[in-house]
Amino acid sequence: MGTDNVRIDDLSNLSAGVSPALAEGLWTSFWDGDRRACARLITKVENEPNSIPGIRERLADRLGHAIRIGVTGPPGVGKSTLCSAIALGLADRQHRVGVIAVDPSSPFTGGAFMGDRVRMDKFVGDDRIFMRSLASREGRGGLSPSTPYVADVIEAFGMDRILIETVGVGQAELDVMNTADLVVLVLQPITGDAIQSMKAGIIEAADLIVVNKSDLPGADTVLQSLRFVYSLGSAKSGKAPPLLAVSAQQTEGIEELVDTLEQLSTSIIQSGRHQELRQQRLVEEIKSGIVDELWQRYLRQSDAERVIENAAKHLAASGGSAYKFVREMCSNIQLTVDPKANA
Amino acid sequence: MSGSPIKVVVGKPGLDGHDRGAKVVARTLVEAGMEVVYLGLRQTPESIVAAALEEDADVIGLSVLSGAHMTHFKRVRALMEEKGLGDRLLTGGGIIPTKDQETLAALGVGKLFGPGDDPDAIVDYIREWIREHPREDAV
Ligand code: B12
Ligand SMILES: Nc1nc2c(ncn2[C@@H]2O[C@H](COP(=O)(O)OP(=O)(O)OP(=O)(O)O)[C@@H](O)[C@H]2O)c(=O)[nH]1
Ligand SMILES: [Mg+2]
Repeated sequence: MGTDNVRIDDLSNLSAGVSPALAEGLWTSFWDGDRRACARLITKVENEPNSIPGIRERLADRLGHAIRIGVTGPPGVGKSTLCSAIALGLADRQHRVGVIAVDPSSPFTGGAFMGDRVRMDKFVGDDRIFMRSLASREGRGGLSPSTPYVADVIEAFGMDRILIETVGVGQAELDVMNTADLVVLVLQPITGDAIQSMKAGIIEAADLIVVNKSDLPGADTVLQSLRFVYSLGSAKSGKAPPLLAVSAQQTEGIEELVDTLEQLSTSIIQSGRHQELRQQRLVEEIKSGIVDELWQRYLRQSDAERVIENAAKHLAASGGSAYKFVREMCSNIQLTVDPKANA
Repeated sequence: MSGSPIKVVVGKPGLDGHDRGAKVVARTLVEAGMEVVYLGLRQTPESIVAAALEEDADVIGLSVLSGAHMTHFKRVRALMEEKGLGDRLLTGGGIIPTKDQETLAALGVGKLFGPGDDPDAIVDYIREWIREHPREDAV
């Protein structure tokens, strides 16, 4: 069960793996503010993960300023209707707004029904706002794997507030915490009973909780249960986030909601929190980038698939620890980092 | 493009409230593995083309049972050319007489479907059209 002796060096060439170059014309149009080019670039990012490093390298100078606002909550609570109202409110406050709405892909057919635009038809053709629907594809945590990069494209296109509506499956909406700077949890009167069981996870991550459909009876009860949950101290840092009751449909409470979002945005910028979140995401990106890069190099320079398969066959037949194999295998890899790279 | 799902925008222009066909077709396309952006009722040719542009849709599908198909299909086709989406497929269905279908076909509108047509035939048509018309990257 010998492993090949692999050398992984020359880390200076970290951008290897960049996919076929995009037509320069596409970039020119993109920087000129052509929405079609922006849409096309998003498709690239969605459909060709290999193109992401190269694309992001070109966008990098324009990133870092936008506030990404995740809008999450159970199906049908009014996330899309609310995003539409918020987007218009932000645009009226001189922001350029991106809206990304993610809908579930069928794990069986790969198809996706994306109906969020039905509730977002007030701003089509409004060039202060760019909206895009994304199918969740392999994503299982409420977003598609490409969502953060799609947000990058939209930010580089010039949008400084980006709303991200999640799939809305309830409990497993954790991607949004790693992607958004602010998380808005949307509930509705009839989700009242469900609050107790939602206590783990997202309810603690929320920076703002909105009880939508306040035109229907029961919004007060939901607010009361929320206050109760927070009084038990389950929230992050023990501090309850702002709670607001609104009606997205009747546009009641929307002004106050948008003002609150603006205050939260200003406060995370001033406190350095925004920068810190961005830095955390960069750390994760660098780590997973290194893993990917080394793995690709490893695959390229050795007969890895076959070696791994043989090892698995051997382990399955005779027992033994996979980790022992991994340790042995990795001890043969020499990782020579060019000292100049650290300068 | 190979291997990535086909993206379709489906909308109903005008005041026509017959949305059953559009929903049936949208569902069928989803079950066939396509990504369908459903716009719903009361769209305008402008709103449909603007949405298709942001979505970078491969296909625009209109459903018109009101009798206003000539106006809507012509306008959408013209806007597609104007906005640089001339290379995408415009198809659809509803109550559309054969001679109108022919007139529209001459203007660059794709195949149109009517009552009782097998939704699977729509899937086959779209797949084949996409296979024969690969998109170029250049803008
Ligand atoms: C059900 C129905 C209604 C329902 C609609 C319910 C709903 N939410 O959809 C109700 C009762 C509300 C209704 C009302 C009216 N209706 Co009506 N209705 C029908 C009926 C009987 C069936 C339509 C239907 O749902 N078919 C089932 C679906 C699956 O078929 P489909 O829509 O044709 O879709 C297929 C294809 O056309 C195509 N297709 C459709 N959309 C798309 C989209 C894409 C992208 C693609 C690729 C293909 C595609 O593929 C589908 C698959 O086979 C038709 C008669 C008929 N035989 O078509 C009349 C009909 C459409 N109605 C008609 C009329 C006049 C009306 C009314 C004005 C008043 C009236 N006389 O009843 C109102 C107007 C309502 C409004 N606001 O627009 C006329 C239209 C005449 C015309 N265009 O010249 C028809 C043809 C009846 C007739 N013979 O007079 N109607
Ligand atoms: N009464 C009332 N209904 C509302 C309100 N906001 C949204 N709705 C309705 O609630 C339904 C769902 O709204 P959406 O905005 O699509 O909800 P969503 O959370 O985006 O739904 P999914 O994306 O499918 O999870 C629609 O029928 C809306 O019209 C509101 O403030 N009051
Ligand atoms: Mg929605």
